[in-house]
Amino acid sequence: MGALGNGNRAMFWRIVRRLLGANRGRLFVILLALGAGAAVTAALLNLQVDAKRRLTTEFRAFGANVIISHKAATSWDSVTTVNDSIMDAISKSIGPSGAEATSFLYVVAGVRGPRGGAPVNAILAGKGRTGVHQVSVTIIPPPTNPDDPWYNLAVPGDLPCTLGVQLAKQLDAHVGDTISILISDRRRTCRVSSLAETGGPEDSQVTVMLDFAQRLANLPGRISDVEILVPGTPKQIDEYVSALQEQFPDLGVRPIRQFTDAQATIYGRISGLLNFTVAVVLILTALCVMAAMTNVAMERKNDVGLMKAIGGATRRVLRLFMMEAALLGLASGVIGAAVGIFLSIWLGKQVFGVAAQPRLIVYPVAVALTVIVAILSAYPLRRLAGVRPASVFRGEA
Amino acid sequence: MFLRLVADSFTRRPRRKVLTAAALSLGMAVVTAALSVSLDVGDRLASEFRSLGANLVVTPQADSLPLEIGGVDYRPVNAGAYLPEADLPKIKTVFWHNNIIAFSPTLEVRVQSWTPQFSPASATFVKPAANGDALLIGAWSNHDVRLPDGGSFVTGLKQTNPWWSVDGAWFNDGEGECIVGSNFAKKNAVLIGSPLYLEGSVAGHGLALKVTGIFSGGGAEDDGVVAPLSIVQQYLQKPGQYRKLLVSALTKPEDEFARRDPKAMKADEFERWSCSPYVSSIAYSIRQVLPGTDVRVIRRVAEGEGTILTRVRALLWMVTFAALLAAALAVGASSAASVIERRTEIGLMKALGAGSGTVGFLLAAEQLLLAFVGGGIGYSLGIILARLVGLKIFGVAPEPSLLVLVAVLALAAGVTLIGSAIPLRRASRYEPAPILRGE
Repeated sequence: MGALGNGNRAMFWRIVRRLLGANRGRLFVILLALGAGAAVTAALLNLQVDAKRRLTTEFRAFGANVIISHKAATSWDSVTTVNDSIMDAISKSIGPSGAEATSFLYVVAGVRGPRGGAPVNAILAGKGRTGVHQVSVTIIPPPTNPDDPWYNLAVPGDLPCTLGVQLAKQLDAHVGDTISILISDRRRTCRVSSLAETGGPEDSQVTVMLDFAQRLANLPGRISDVEILVPGTPKQIDEYVSALQEQFPDLGVRPIRQFTDAQATIYGRISGLLNFTVAVVLILTALCVMAAMTNVAMERKNDVGLMKAIGGATRRVLRLFMMEAALLGLASGVIGAAVGIFLSIWLGKQVFGVAAQPRLIVYPVAVALTVIVAILSAYPLRRLAGVRPASVFRGEA
Repeated sequence: MFLRLVADSFTRRPRRKVLTAAALSLGMAVVTAALSVSLDVGDRLASEFRSLGANLVVTPQADSLPLEIGGVDYRPVNAGAYLPEADLPKIKTVFWHNNIIAFSPTLEVRVQSWTPQFSPASATFVKPAANGDALLIGAWSNHDVRLPDGGSFVTGLKQTNPWWSVDGAWFNDGEGECIVGSNFAKKNAVLIGSPLYLEGSVAGHGLALKVTGIFSGGGAEDDGVVAPLSIVQQYLQKPGQYRKLLVSALTKPEDEFARRDPKAMKADEFERWSCSPYVSSIAYSIRQVLPGTDVRVIRRVAEGEGTILTRVRALLWMVTFAALLAAALAVGASSAASVIERRTEIGLMKALGAGSGTVGFLLAAEQLLLAFVGGGIGYSLGIILARLVGLKIFGVAPEPSLLVLVAVLALAAGVTLIGSAIPLRRASRYEPAPILRGE
């Protein structure tokens, strides 16, 4: 029995080998079809996984999407501030990696332009340190580079400031001019290092470093809000917002719905589109292989007739063809998916300017999909089960 | 004879032909769907980004600087300049008027609010202590703008701030109604349907409004009240005037060229610049029709939108291209298979004296016929598929486009011809005798 089993198995593989080698041209067509399918599937799968992640980083372009401030909204009577120690607390929160938190202090100040005249009322924005999350938030200490006058109070001469375009127009100030900022009886001068045009409130602000603003406003250690840029999927952002709200029950944590809502819609649309394309490519690959297999079925009538005539059971004959299809799928999947992953690295570079990171999970998934597609598309071979040996030998098709 | 041969080949083995045509139609259906969706999706995505709201802001040129902290303007009341509302229809006369999808003028004022309370003792409504300062924003909800050309254009906050969610209903423009922000409602215990009284230092008279809804926008406006522009104008005694205009326009992502200063451009460059829907050229044209204004691009919205849109478009085209490639391979392989299986027939034809050219021509004609039939059916199937996908993903079906039909038919013809060319070349080398003997 064992010997017979071995003999059978050897024979089985021998026939499979012969089936594969029978027609080199056709083998090539099928391999090409399956391989190309596997390559495109792997490339798209990898790009899809990567693009979704990449898309969330692209949303950075919209800037901060979560704001933490005093629970009581700012009113006309009082500008509410919070202790800047919350920045350190944020650093201990666990959020999506790459989140950036920046603290700001806003106060009303008088600004006198380089040409003198009466001071103009404007918002003085003190911009604090920025923390960038890697795994959790890490606060990057202010640069201590002595060449960076923005952060170095010790640099002699005037401190630099950024002037909004509308304020600059009103003051008739240009880059390089010296302006003075007054709050009650405190006064400091600063040099305009750049102009800002954003179409937002920054256009009528003067931005200085936080320390400078805190001293001038006599609000040491106080900030108005922390503006956080949270990358990630809409779900991740929501989770982070609730986590922050739990961490700071006394503060108001609010997502900027204008951006978070739009991001959620756009993200949903694009990932839906990518899913659709992967499905399409799989269907096309199956189609391609099925066409080739139909042809195989036609050609193999004689072989099957012979096998049946000498006593091959239908099931065993079919198993032979299934094995052939699976082997073909495996071979082309292994090669095609590898090519596809390299392709997606290149494609990612074209689309996002950064090479897509190969995801290891994509490779086995693509190979498995190709094998499944190959076996499923061997469906036309089932017709061979109905072949009657006698009519084949008589030459009737 | 030629036509007869072609016709014969179709009628003799209909099943085989149906199979090849089916493969072709399916492949082409996918191509049609992918092409229609990507052709349409660019525009669709651009309008999707409009859910970010306005990308242009118009303010009076001679305005005093806003003193905004956390969305609250600390400017003294009555400081600053106003713009005439009567000029607004002109916005829809600029060259890119079709790209301007919404605009909404606003007028803000700081007021005191109070809700009358029923006093059981005197059985009358009494005025309690004021709730404190609140922001009153006058705006359009769904205003019908009469255009100079006689048409009308419905726009307002509903369109420029689509992320606002309103519980209850928006106010009607021109009526004494308002919607209140969610924080305001919570703080002052205001319910939908309750009356709200506002008064400020402006004119010494009050304003009674009915609350029709509670909205949430996620910004400082959640602490305020939004009422019809005309009501706020009357209250402020600034009839027909507004302070700030938000414009939402469909734009093309800015490139190097778009960022150049229009004043430094040559005449032809300027023409090209103003004929592209860049956000800066739309801003320029609005400035032309609204004298005395500053039109600024809201960079945060416009630039974020530009970057992502460019990336996503490239991604989509790449994906479409991959789908095209896969479809071409599938169709090519199936037509190659259909030629290979007809070796005997080719052998017979050659034995009867047909040249390789004639045989090739005959088969090519057959394949082309198949390509057009399959391509046509595939196109119709693809349109249905594109509708399904479009509806599912974007909620709107893409328009069938003639361009796609032409592209699909050309692709079907090209791919089947190339697919059958390789086996045909081999077929032309066949010796008739061994084939006829069945070897």
